Amino acid sequence: MTVALSIILIMTSVLLVVLILLHRGKGGGLSNLFGGGVSSSLGGSSVVEKNLDRLTIGAGLVWAACIVALGLLLKK
Amino acid sequence: MLTAFARAFRTPDLRKKLLFVLAIIGLFRLGSVVPSPGVSYTAIQSCLNQSKDSSVYGLVNLFSGGALLQLSVFALGIMPYITSSIIIQLLIVVIPRLERLKEEGQSGQAKLTQYTRYLTIALAILQSTGIVALARGVPSRLFPQCNQAILPSTSLFRVATLVVTMTAGTAVIMWLGELITDRGIGNGMSVLIFTSIASRLPSEGGRILQSTSGFVFALVCLLGLVIVTAVVYVEQAQRRIPVQYAKRMVGRRMYGGTSTYIPLKVNQAGVIPVIFASSLLYLPNLLSQMWTSNQGFTNFVSRNLTKGDHPLYLVSYFLLIIFFTYFYVAITFNPVEVSDNMKKYGGFVPGFRPGRQTAEYLDFILSRITLPGALFLGLIAVLPNALLSLTGGNQFPFGGTTVLILVGVGLETVKQIESQLMLRNYEGFLR
Repeated sequence: MTVALSIILIMTSVLLVVLILLHRGKGGGLSNLFGGGVSSSLGGSSVVEKNLDRLTIGAGLVWAACIVALGLLLKK
Repeated sequence: MLTAFARAFRTPDLRKKLLFVLAIIGLFRLGSVVPSPGVSYTAIQSCLNQSKDSSVYGLVNLFSGGALLQLSVFALGIMPYITSSIIIQLLIVVIPRLERLKEEGQSGQAKLTQYTRYLTIALAILQSTGIVALARGVPSRLFPQCNQAILPSTSLFRVATLVVTMTAGTAVIMWLGELITDRGIGNGMSVLIFTSIASRLPSEGGRILQSTSGFVFALVCLLGLVIVTAVVYVEQAQRRIPVQYAKRMVGRRMYGGTSTYIPLKVNQAGVIPVIFASSLLYLPNLLSQMWTSNQGFTNFVSRNLTKGDHPLYLVSYFLLIIFFTYFYVAITFNPVEVSDNMKKYGGFVPGFRPGRQTAEYLDFILSRITLPGALFLGLIAVLPNALLSLTGGNQFPFGGTTVLILVGVGLETVKQIESQLMLRNYEGFLR
């Protein structure tokens, strides 16, 4: 059980990292402060972005559930 | 003051943004206390209680809101993201290809951001491996005095799960920060740092009150108040350079003919230099974790560069802050560009010719006015630590760095809220 959960956790972790990297970094970080200027998104997010958001949230939920389940199992 | 808050929450789009930021902060804090799978929560708690003065990782632990030593899911906090943005920004100056990208404008900037994000993940893998390696063994190197097993099982599979989970946690933090910048209010990264530091304040204050007398506690609070006042005072100070615009006709309309000013802030850089300097000083520490075979280097780092009250640390911190203040101002404010823009729209500074002379004048003023700003930042960040180490106690969390970051980020965010509020009302928070 724990092994299966761990494998799922590793897989969702990798998936989550990939999905987040796929996002167009909307200058969240300091790079926006660094002369990034006003980069207001033009006309909201596209359909692709919206679907990507949904996928990421879904993967994040599975990831969080795995962490909690695995934590409870290992604690005993 | 309170009515302004009420009004902020009554404005629908602002309320949505504020609630969004609060929800993200809640998520962030939740992840900072959930232990990673495979870490023994009870062992960590007893270890944390045993080693009260575990200030070896003081600042980093502070930046992650105490999550680092708890080995929680978000143990690394926002630190890898900050480190990677510093590295990329420094590389822009060095590598011509990156410099060309930066000058390209929007698309180049987006590419640089993407590089920063890749580097963040790489750093996260490195750091999580480092911290997990430190937590292995029974008197683990993370808590040298404590002989309980933090990781009950150290099989390769378990450890790999731990590392991967923490890396993914860092990626999620990065995304949360971007979401705040994108859909909420304020700069996501600084809001998250603010959250972690603020979450540490009550427990640290309680610890000071317990370990010392009430008098010292009152003194520390008083010192904090003085710093807050000083920071607000300097943060708002600016020099106004008068600019006169010539009248011009476009079609049948008349434009310009007004006189305005360019505000040059004393501390143009805000809190960024402090964040940068402290996270750069953490790098040797990180290196010594990776590179444990070189005993001399490790000893040197742990002796000189990890404690906040060591003279070498203080001096290099001070110098780094001054360097980053100038670096940041040079990147964000380009006198040549400003004077060119002014020339284009028929503006001039009285007494100076448009073009080169104006640029030189702006540059002259800027480099002079930044000096007191840089010195101030450095002194505020260093002095309280030096004073506290003289009196014997090493109350790091109430040092200048934290107060500086808290006040700076707070001011910045409130100003942004205010500008949103201004769209609907005239009176805001800051009178």
